[in-house]
Amino acid sequence: MTPDERGHVGRVVPVYAFTRGRTRAAGQELPLEAVVTTTGLSLNSGASLQMESRAIVEMCARPKSLAEVGAALRVPVGVARVLVGDLANGGYLEVHLPRTADGDGGPGHEILGRLLDGLRSR
Amino acid sequence: MDSVRVDSRRPPPPAGRELIPLKVLVAGGFGAGKTTFVGAVSEIPPLTTEQHMTSLSVGVDDTAMVPDKTTTTVAMDFGRITVDEQLILYLFGTPGQSRFWFMWDELAKGAVGAVILVDLRRIDDCFPAIDYFEDRELPFVIAANAFPGTEVFPDQAVRDALALPEGCPLVRMDAREPRSCMDALVALVEHALVRSLG
Repeated sequence: MTPDERGHVGRVVPVYAFTRGRTRAAGQELPLEAVVTTTGLSLNSGASLQMESRAIVEMCARPKSLAEVGAALRVPVGVARVLVGDLANGGYLEVHLPRTADGDGGPGHEILGRLLDGLRSR
Repeated sequence: MDSVRVDSRRPPPPAGRELIPLKVLVAGGFGAGKTTFVGAVSEIPPLTTEQHMTSLSVGVDDTAMVPDKTTTTVAMDFGRITVDEQLILYLFGTPGQSRFWFMWDELAKGAVGAVILVDLRRIDDCFPAIDYFEDRELPFVIAANAFPGTEVFPDQAVRDALALPEGCPLVRMDAREPRSCMDALVALVEHALVRSLG
């Protein structure tokens, strides 16, 4: 295999193989910024996980967003979403969703205040 | 801390802690400095996420208006700032080409707001972004990115040229300078906070 101009080696297995042909995760659609972390039992019971799923569980020992997972695996976000959704359903990952003030709105003022304090202190 | 870059030795949040992700969009025309901005404040090297506009993609069943949806890939730069033990802020550079704007709704949902970068030599490029965020009543600030050789226009002239709504902050900045980008972010969050209280 020849690396492309960005040094990446071409993928032999089509991305849909990772998701066994499915395009939607069971459960809700995770936003790009949803953060995932490993649950305690993950790695010990992960013997039957496919390679990509194991990689996700391992990298999420430190918090990672769905977008970061996709970038690290070099797969489209949609593929990462399916894999992460399955791992969360299987109890391997904990998902931290954004908290919005009202439905589709942005974060509430309490969180915005903390964000402001945090950015100002830099 | 003098630097706006986060200390990479900062310990990861302990397992079991509840984390709260947040996001800010970095918008503006092609070449306005979106990637530079994200790179200047991110604690990780900026990453690129791809959304394939194919039948494989999740949630794009309603994009039949995109003629070549079987081949299109939309790439977005993004970065991260760990704000405190619970808050993690993600910065997403929006896709620059207007025909990918259907993606913005997913990006914009739940966002703190947007920093709209403006190259004052080409202000027309940022009108679509301003229209978009005004329509959706999402907080935004205008960040006039100082490109070398740009004529200095007074604030009011810039506000008039952009037809900025009253109260919308206008900041002068240099996207190559982390401190300058952080100041623009602070201006956005201040603005969003005031609006959330109103």
